[in-house]
Amino acid sequence: MSAVGLGLSYGVLSTRRRLGQLVLPIVTTATGAFLLVVVLAMAAGIRAQAAALGHADEIRRAIVLIGVTVLLVGVVEVAVSTTRTVAHRTRELGVLGATGVPRPPVVAALLVEPLIASVIGAVIGAALAVVTAVVLGATGAASSGISTSGTVIGVLVAVGVSALAALATSIVPTWRAASRPPIRSLSTGG
Amino acid sequence: MAVTAVEPAVSTPRPPPLHADATGARNSTVVRLLRFALANVRRRPERFVLSTLGIALAIMAVTVVRTISSSFAITGEETVTTVLQDAPLWVVPAAGVHYDSDVEAIVADGPAPDLTVPAGWTASRTVTALWDSDAGELPVYGSDAVPDGTAVLGATAADRLGVAAGDPVTVGGTDLQVSVDGEGTVLRVPEAVAADLGGDTGWWTVSPPAGDADRNDLGPLLADATGLPTTTDPGVQPSGEALVYDTVGGSGAVTFQQKFSALFSGQVTSSALGLISTIGLVLGFIIAVSSFLAAVQERRREFGIMSSIGLADEVLYFFLVESALVFAAAYLLGITFAGIAVAAVIPAIATPVAWLQAAGTVAAYLPAMAIVGALVPVHRLLQQRPVQLLGADA
Repeated sequence: MSAVGLGLSYGVLSTRRRLGQLVLPIVTTATGAFLLVVVLAMAAGIRAQAAALGHADEIRRAIVLIGVTVLLVGVVEVAVSTTRTVAHRTRELGVLGATGVPRPPVVAALLVEPLIASVIGAVIGAALAVVTAVVLGATGAASSGISTSGTVIGVLVAVGVSALAALATSIVPTWRAASRPPIRSLSTGG
Repeated sequence: MAVTAVEPAVSTPRPPPLHADATGARNSTVVRLLRFALANVRRRPERFVLSTLGIALAIMAVTVVRTISSSFAITGEETVTTVLQDAPLWVVPAAGVHYDSDVEAIVADGPAPDLTVPAGWTASRTVTALWDSDAGELPVYGSDAVPDGTAVLGATAADRLGVAAGDPVTVGGTDLQVSVDGEGTVLRVPEAVAADLGGDTGWWTVSPPAGDADRNDLGPLLADATGLPTTTDPGVQPSGEALVYDTVGGSGAVTFQQKFSALFSGQVTSSALGLISTIGLVLGFIIAVSSFLAAVQERRREFGIMSSIGLADEVLYFFLVESALVFAAAYLLGITFAGIAVAAVIPAIATPVAWLQAAGTVAAYLPAMAIVGALVPVHRLLQQRPVQLLGADA
């Protein structure tokens, strides 16, 4: 197995150990994903609501923009959580560095946690949104119906954007942590 | 402290100030707090950037929604001002009136009611119609208050038709001379012209005698004379009979036009847009609190030292300043993002004025969020004794 592969395995193991710490980022990402999928699944109804206000196309675009923005807000919590993780594991990172583990596998190990948190959050949020959409469609509460293609696009966008955004926002703190001289990590880490 | 203890209090009853620079003691404290906060930001810059980014995105979402809402409010106020033309009373038909978003104007849903006003009062009937012009459908208000041979256009209508004051315009086979007054898409023409366009719906605007113009009970006066119900609330719809909207009466500082525009903006803030952006703001706040709590966890020893030398209350100020820094930076970033987003995504709705109004509204939330965001970690700290904070990491 390559060094990065070993790093990923190490990351999965440490993520399992720290799953309790990931509840908040998972919840915030799930909330963002839920809203985005619901918005896209119920696009027809929202378009009708937007038409009543005038400027239907602009309002529809604004709704998608805000849905994606709220998803990103949820994902930022994943990155904040990563900074917390990195701070907690400073000494562990120092040990890894001191024993000669190069930077790429360490960064890969640290990025597993935000990736898993964001994907789990997005999948939970998207699943809840699909269930909500199906229930609303079945009970007739969504008068304009539920769009299957909109739901599928919503799920894909929610999971894809969450994972990418989590990696993009987490890469800097993990890179900085993995780049610290081991002696500093070992002497100052909590 | 030791110096003050040994100094005999003979010449001055007050102890000397703690800081040598007495002139700017308060200022100096604020500056020191800011420097301390900035030093902490530098210690974990990525966390500052991330929490600022998270809140900024949330503020952006709310500002975009508020911009749309403000824009609708401005539209609402303009449309009702075009209808009223300074008349204090507006008598709408039993079928009501509604805002037609396609033509961006208020149109009546039924014929103007029969109305006889008391002697000395002036009632002006308006007939509403839609004119299928070369530049698309435009709303037409026909009224005898408009001189024959004249069409008074709102600026938007003049723009769409490509005409200026003094130009001719042919509306439904009648040649009229253009004059431009106010904003909006409405053409005000003589009543016969609007009737030729098939206009059979409308309303009345009523003004009292000059001597009664300042009265606050014009609605009830007209209601007594005509037997029609009256209200000062534009949210009330006619039920079964015509209704008199009293636009100057009632108590409170909010004008009828403002209430009318609030109906418009309320449609936005209570829609899916408003709900989603509010949830976004809550998520942004959670990020701020989570980030501060992480800082508390990592700086336990530091706060333990502060508490043990009696600086427990001051910790609140440290967090308040840090929180203010984060929220101020997030606010500036968020409204800038929102400005760019509305200009790129919804240029037809958003105006700079609406964006500025939205930025002002959102600013009102921030102090409360920043203060509560600082109080949560301080509460967490104050629950623990200094010895616990100084002890082993929890």
